Amino acid sequence: MDLYTMICDSIRGFKSNIRKDPITNQNVSSAMAAELTIVSTVLTAAIMLRHLNVVLTILIVLGLVLYLITGMPLISKFKREQSDSLNKMMFYMILTLGILVTSIYWGFKP
Amino acid sequence: MNDLIPLMVIVPIIAAILLNLFIKYNTTIKILSFLVAIVLPIIPILSNYGLHYFGGHAPLMDNGTLLNSLPSYISDGPLSTFHIGITYSFESLQKILIFFLFVVGFLCIFTTIGERKRTPGSYMFLMLMGLAAVTAMLLSDDIFHMYIFFEIAVVAQVGIILASTDNQRYEIAMKYMILGSIGGPILLTGIGFLLGLVGSVNITDIVYVVRNGLVNANSPVFLFSFGLIFFGWLYSVGLPPFHTIKSAVYSKAVPSGSALLQALSVVIFISLGIAIFRIYSSVPFIGVFIIFFSLCGMILSLTMAIMENDFKRMIGFLAVGELGYIGLGFGLGTKLSLTAALFQGLNEMIITATLFIGFGVVLYMTKTSDITKLGGLIEKNPKIAIIVLLGGFAMAGVPPLNGFQSKLMLVQSALSDNFPELAVIMILISIVTFMTFIKAFHSVYLKPKPKNLVIENSDVPRSSVLVMVVLIAICIVLGVVPTLVTDGFSGFVGGLI
Repeated sequence: MDLYTMICDSIRGFKSNIRKDPITNQNVSSAMAAELTIVSTVLTAAIMLRHLNVVLTILIVLGLVLYLITGMPLISKFKREQSDSLNKMMFYMILTLGILVTSIYWGFKP
Repeated sequence: MNDLIPLMVIVPIIAAILLNLFIKYNTTIKILSFLVAIVLPIIPILSNYGLHYFGGHAPLMDNGTLLNSLPSYISDGPLSTFHIGITYSFESLQKILIFFLFVVGFLCIFTTIGERKRTPGSYMFLMLMGLAAVTAMLLSDDIFHMYIFFEIAVVAQVGIILASTDNQRYEIAMKYMILGSIGGPILLTGIGFLLGLVGSVNITDIVYVVRNGLVNANSPVFLFSFGLIFFGWLYSVGLPPFHTIKSAVYSKAVPSGSALLQALSVVIFISLGIAIFRIYSSVPFIGVFIIFFSLCGMILSLTMAIMENDFKRMIGFLAVGELGYIGLGFGLGTKLSLTAALFQGLNEMIITATLFIGFGVVLYMTKTSDITKLGGLIEKNPKIAIIVLLGGFAMAGVPPLNGFQSKLMLVQSALSDNFPELAVIMILISIVTFMTFIKAFHSVYLKPKPKNLVIENSDVPRSSVLVMVVLIAICIVLGVVPTLVTDGFSGFVGGLI
């Protein structure tokens, strides 16, 4: 399967992933816009790593391109994870606190 | 010393208590709320810049007679510079932000009085307590004092959600409280670590101690306190992982309440953000942390907003996403970026209030916020539609409105700081904001009216229309003459860096 077919298939997959809402052109367009926003902004943000290391940036951007395209459609997963479920909110809160404190404590340890 | 400074906190608190006493008298509550709300914006205008020491407890350094009578290890040491009591600092930033906060507060109270036949005193109490709490946070130079008022603001926010008629209000309020029961104490723990290390909770004292090397800024305790306070800040402002609950909070309150909630969040964002920036400016990569979470907030919130079919939730997500712009300005940490961030914060308060109240009119008329069930409302209210359209343009950053000026400043600061990627992302997010708004606007106003759509209240309260006109006028004035506020912000930032 070539890259173009993969992207087209994932766009067709939007329809099934937003099934619980009434399917309209507006919904599908919104999902596609959200998908493209995520991909473009994440890739653009990753380029900022050039301030640390250029080679590392190239590797990470290429890895992200591969991951984001093969993982499409992403937005349905994002939407599922950002529901009003207290369990999910608690999970991400604890995860963030753990990552934050760990990276600060060990990352900056002299 | 300026005795008017504490009045900005004391007047709304006393008014709130009085409103509770007259809870059975509807007319009294309306008159008293209106009078207090109209007086509040006048206080910051009349106040002079300066410091207010509660109890008259100035630092020992300012009292030569007392200082000379003390042992040399006190008079010659850093203790002589420490602030003994709580200090309020009133500068150009506070003057501008508190004035506009009170203006938004007044407009929200005015809308509530106009929309409801019976004005609940308890609701007015919560609105005024929220205003008092965030004003105290902005004025205070004491991080523990800020925390206390932050908790009061959270309780007021929860109360404002509960005052709505949404079926899910109790559930969302409870979830917000549960998450707050973790976020709040973590913030307090961070402050506790800082107190243990420095011996003071006054921000100026802490900055003095850190800058003069009296405390090791690389010590694990100091860094740990940064992590905890930073996490508490994420909770307080609604950046990830709290963006979902924050947007839910906005969407469950009544529209005027949502407008006020967003204004309170912006002030909390700025006041705690400045405190963190001042105390931890020596921490390596502090900007990276702020930029990372701000970007996540913008991207996640905007992508969720565009997928939404409930316009209240959509604006809630947009409002949270817009907070990310303020964070980017703080993260870049230059004079231009910080000025732009403060300007963006101010604009955010006004624009979001316009949109919440504007779409609130739709909710008032149709009793639904589902855009799939709406349409054709431009025939009913073309003037309101135009005001809402202008509000959306301001949020998306369309010239010559205020949102354009602050976003342009942020883009310029990112470019001049060698972060063109951030500039690109900011522009991309603005485009998506525009798309999201147009989607909502088209569905509500331009699409043909569905046959089963019932207009339950066709008479829009004049108070709501007047409020929207005032808010959009502020957007236009600040867009055309941004120096009205940016000069003041720039002066404050100059002293900060």
